[in-house]
Amino acid sequence: MQIRVQCGCGESSCPEWAVVELQGVVQPQASFAGDIRGLHIGRLCSAPSPSSSSKAGYTFTVGYHELAGTKVTLKKPLLVLRKKKVNAGCGEQEPPAAAEEVELEVIGIIRHKILFKDRPKALISKPPTKEKKTVQPAAK
Amino acid sequence: MDAEMEDAGAQAKIEWDGGGGGADAVLGLAGGGPPVSLCYHQAFGSHDDIVLLEAADDLLPDLLQGRVTVRGRPEEEAVLCTPSATYSMKFVGTSNSMFLIPPGEPSAKCLRPDSTNGDANVVAATIKLAPGSIELVRTAPRLDKLRSLLRERPYILDEDLGNDFEHMKGLYTWQNLCKLIQASDGELLDGLNTLSAVEIDGFWRTVDANSVNTILDMILHNSVLHDWPLNAMPENDVLSVMESDGFTHKIVTHCLNRFGTKVEQEARSFWSLDEKRVCLQFAQRALGAGKMKLANFMDKWERSIPSGMHADLQMLEGEVLCEKLGAETWVHAFSVADLPLAPADRFAALFRERPKWEWKDLQPYIRDLRLPGVSSEGLLIKYTRRTQPSAEAEPIFTAR
Repeated sequence: MQIRVQCGCGESSCPEWAVVELQGVVQPQASFAGDIRGLHIGRLCSAPSPSSSSKAGYTFTVGYHELAGTKVTLKKPLLVLRKKKVNAGCGEQEPPAAAEEVELEVIGIIRHKILFKDRPKALISKPPTKEKKTVQPAAK
Repeated sequence: MDAEMEDAGAQAKIEWDGGGGGADAVLGLAGGGPPVSLCYHQAFGSHDDIVLLEAADDLLPDLLQGRVTVRGRPEEEAVLCTPSATYSMKFVGTSNSMFLIPPGEPSAKCLRPDSTNGDANVVAATIKLAPGSIELVRTAPRLDKLRSLLRERPYILDEDLGNDFEHMKGLYTWQNLCKLIQASDGELLDGLNTLSAVEIDGFWRTVDANSVNTILDMILHNSVLHDWPLNAMPENDVLSVMESDGFTHKIVTHCLNRFGTKVEQEARSFWSLDEKRVCLQFAQRALGAGKMKLANFMDKWERSIPSGMHADLQMLEGEVLCEKLGAETWVHAFSVADLPLAPADRFAALFRERPKWEWKDLQPYIRDLRLPGVSSEGLLIKYTRRTQPSAEAEPIFTAR
C-alpha cells in the first residue's frame, strides 16, 4: 500500500507547535486522576539563562517544584502528522472492500522545545501560595 | 513500525479542531513575554492519530509539498520515499514527558483546580504527551521483490492476453508497483531499467530470453539484407522493415535500446549496436544452463556472433565463471542479475557458489552493491575474510 503525505499549509506557513519537555512524569493529584482535561499543570516564566548566556532561560513551576530549563532549537525539526481516513470513492482502486485509504497530513512543525533536563528544586515556602515565583538561576 | 498504522483507539473522543494550544505564547516567552500557565487541553488525550516525524531540513521541501509517500505491505517495515530516495522509519520512544502544544488561541482558560491563578492570564494548553518520534535513516531501495514480480510473467512474442481480469495475474502497472515495492519513484525506475523491463499496454514486463533472441536475430538478419552498418542502422528503416516482419515498434525499440545506443545525425536517428552487449547475449545463448569446456564454448560463441564483432572473455564478467578441473577449464553461467541485492544475502550466495574467490573474479559480482554510507571496502571487511599468503600473491576472499 501507499500512504501519501499531504500538507495543506505549504512550506512557508506551516504552523509552529511548541513542546515542553521534562524528565519523568507529571502526576496529577489522585482526586483529579480520572479527568485531567483543563487542569492546570504549572507556570512557565522566562528567566536568565541557567548556564550559557546564549540560550533563552525558562523556569517551570509545578506545585512546589521549580524546574530550570532552556529553549533548544532542534537539529532536525519534527513534523506533526495526523492520520486521516480518506474514503476512496473513485472506483478503480483495489476492487471492493478497501474503501478506506489512509493519508498522513502535516499539521504542524516543531522547531524548538523548552527542555527541562535538571532535577526539580523544591520551593521552600509556606504552604499553598502558588504565586511564589522565585526566579533564580539553577544551583547544582 | 508497521506500514499499516493501527487505528487510533476508539475511545470516547473529544472533538478537536487542531488548535487551541497557544504555542506562540510559549515560544515567545523568551523574548520577555508574560508568564504562561500551562494546562491540559480540553481535548487532551492519547490522540493516537498524531505522530511526530523527525525530518532533516533537506527533506522538508519534499514533505511540505506533498512529494512524499509511505510505502510497504502491512507485514513489511514501512519506508518513506521522496521522489529519489528511500528512508527506513524507526520509532524512537522517550521516557521524558513531551507535552505537545498546538498553535492557535487557547480555547478556554485553565479552569481547574480553580480559576484564581492570579495574574496568569496567558494560557497554553497541551493536547497530548508524545511517546516518541519517528526517525528517518537513508536506506537502499528494496528491489529484490521487483525482480521476482516481473519474472512471474515475462513478455512473449505473439502472446495473447485476452481481456478478462483472470489473465492479468502476474502483470503489474506502475501504480501496482508503487504499492508493492519499497523504493522511491526514481529508484524504482532505475530498477526497471536494470531489469531491462519495458512498459507494454500499461504493464511493466521483462522480455522472455527466447523472444529477445528472435528479435535480435531478425534485426541482424535485416541489417545484412539491407546493408545497414551495425554502428549506424537508420531507425526509420529498421522499424518499418521489422514491422512488416510482424514486430511492433515498441518491442523493437526496446531491443535496440537494450543492445545499442541512439545517435542523432543530420536530423535522422541511427542506432549503433554495442559489441559487448550483443556478444554477451550470444554467449548466454551458446552456453545455456549447463557446463561447457572453455574451448568448445569459445568455438561455438565465436561462430554465432555477427561478423565484424569480436568475442572476448572479458565481456562475460559477472555473467560466466571459469573453473579449472584438472587440465581442463570449464565455464558455466553465473549471472550477477540472478543474485540477491542485499549485501548479506549476496555474499552468502557467492560463497555457496565458491568458498574462495580471487579479487578479479569477485569484483564483478559485488560492484553493483551500494549501501548508503558504506563503501565497498567496508562491505568486504564486514562480509569476507581476506588472506594473502605472500606479499606478491593475489589476495583470496573467504566467508567470514
